[in-house]
Amino acid sequence: MTELPPTHSQATRAAALAAAYIRYRHGSPGRGLVLRAVHRARRQDIDGVGHKYHLELVLEDIFGKDSTVNCTAEVLYHLGNKISAPDVQFTIEGELKNTDEADNICYNRIKSLKKELEAENIPDSFGNVSPEMEPIRVLAWVASGYVVWQNSTENTKYQLAQIKHVKQVKRSDEYLEFDYTILLHENVSQEIIPWQMTVLWHPQHGVEVTQNSPQPKHALD
Amino acid sequence: SNMKLILIFSALFGAALCLETFVGHQVLRIKTRNEEQLKKLQFLETLEHLQLDFWLNPSISALPVDVRIPAHSLQAVKVFLESHGIEYSILIEDLQVVLNREKQDMVTSQQLERSSSTFNYGTYHSLASIYQELDSLASEFSNIVSKLQIGESYENRPLYVLKFSTGGRNRPAIWLDAGIHSREWVTQASAMWIARKIASDYGNDPSITSLLNKVDVFLLPVANPDGYEFTHTTNRMWRKTRSKNSGSLCIGVDPNRNWDAGFGGPGASSNPCSDSYHGPRANSEVEVESVVNFIKNHGNVLAFLTLHSYSQLLMYPYGYKCTPPADYAELNALGEAAASSIQSLYGTTYQVGSICSTIYQASGGSIDWSYDYGIKYSFAFELRDTGRYGFLLPASQIIPTAEETWLGLKTIMEYVRDNPY
Repeated sequence: MTELPPTHSQATRAAALAAAYIRYRHGSPGRGLVLRAVHRARRQDIDGVGHKYHLELVLEDIFGKDSTVNCTAEVLYHLGNKISAPDVQFTIEGELKNTDEADNICYNRIKSLKKELEAENIPDSFGNVSPEMEPIRVLAWVASGYVVWQNSTENTKYQLAQIKHVKQVKRSDEYLEFDYTILLHENVSQEIIPWQMTVLWHPQHGVEVTQNSPQPKHALD
Repeated sequence: SNMKLILIFSALFGAALCLETFVGHQVLRIKTRNEEQLKKLQFLETLEHLQLDFWLNPSISALPVDVRIPAHSLQAVKVFLESHGIEYSILIEDLQVVLNREKQDMVTSQQLERSSSTFNYGTYHSLASIYQELDSLASEFSNIVSKLQIGESYENRPLYVLKFSTGGRNRPAIWLDAGIHSREWVTQASAMWIARKIASDYGNDPSITSLLNKVDVFLLPVANPDGYEFTHTTNRMWRKTRSKNSGSLCIGVDPNRNWDAGFGGPGASSNPCSDSYHGPRANSEVEVESVVNFIKNHGNVLAFLTLHSYSQLLMYPYGYKCTPPADYAELNALGEAAASSIQSLYGTTYQVGSICSTIYQASGGSIDWSYDYGIKYSFAFELRDTGRYGFLLPASQIIPTAEETWLGLKTIMEYVRDNPY
């Protein structure tokens, strides 16, 4: 086991991945968990398996500015050429604030819209997000945690840069479905990668990404 | 009557232009006490002829319902609510009045923008507007500020540097640049605030006064004007220059992989379509070459500071190799002191370290070049935030970011002033 400085790139990349995964597993339009700090990071090289990072992290909920939560996480990046998502295990200390009411209000508001929701450029060039679009944006951010988790390696660090386009898909059941085109910023190569993802959400059933794929960049930009 | 005619014509005119008018529309806030009252509102929702526009739909009885009601339905809705004992209040008496005021505000603010004496430092500006303000600063603080042109961009835009000097001949100097990566908008915006701050603090703040009495400061607020223009007109996420690459349809070189420091090594791409393309050779980009020439010709630059976003990092060399620089201990200590100053204002935390260990190995970077050239105090800042908004940082954070960054820069500048070499 090697102790890593918490500011070391390997530690911060593994932490970002763990945070993305936790955000996806526990997130909703009413709860957006973000990485606040890395307290400790250790790396373990397991022969024939891969590299495992043991992390002590502090997360915070964007809806509860000063309420932080400690957690420990283990991120295993697999060796070899097979492309499989890293394994992430985590434990959150204490309980997360209940968001049922906020989620239900958001759910009902969208359910009661007369036309399917559609929007683009969230935030806009100037960082603005309208209040009605904030939950849509948080939902994308939570869902992007899945995409980030599935596509991360030790040499990548993804962040959601912008929602280019979102369109609600009509459904006959109680789920809400959105078709997103997002831009992911990959911090190591500095590339901006357009990505399509289909997101299902219901307050009682959580967030699910049912489909996702990278989109071609325009070479002539 | 004339008034009625005007109303009719404007309504027709508005309709002809597909503009809606909201004269006489009211917005009511309705508070239901129970399920039964809520159901009444939901019933109201179904009456399409009323043309009600619910801003907050009836969902649960504990939440208020806001609804815009056209003038022709107002009477009917109020009678309905009152007869069922449903409480309401008037949020907006006449929506058109509010809209007219808002439009007027926008026009006024646009007019203010054009008048150079009221440049709003808390908002993002076009290149033209920034360049105009550089002239204003040079004129308003003509005793210490002058504007220089150090070259032209690929698309022939001037590269303007502000010189802050109280005289002397070729005094030791501190270099500061921003916006080398055009999508990092908070950096150009912060540089403008910092420019005004330095100029106005001279003669008022003892530290800055003594700094400028000994040392000159050169500030390049927009190091990549072609890229910056492109982020406004076409692609907000553009990073590179806009130079044509022979043999490729892809445009632009990453200007922070183009410096002569481990050029072409790891962490830079040889693919012109990549956002970290290093270019055909070191200093191929005129934006980079202009700065290199300026610094070489000056001959007495003691510190090289560059602003990027985002990640909240304060970094020193090296990027092109993962071995520590000879002055590692001093640079690390100074970096930590600067990060501490930054944190003192709003609690914003910065991580300190070399480029290679903190983010990645990246060759051809500016502070690696400046350090190996002999400029000991070479630092790169990554400003707010840590990814929540990333490049799209809301304008409301510009001034707080500039204020805290300035404290960090000041710590370094004061140290340079007191430790000439």
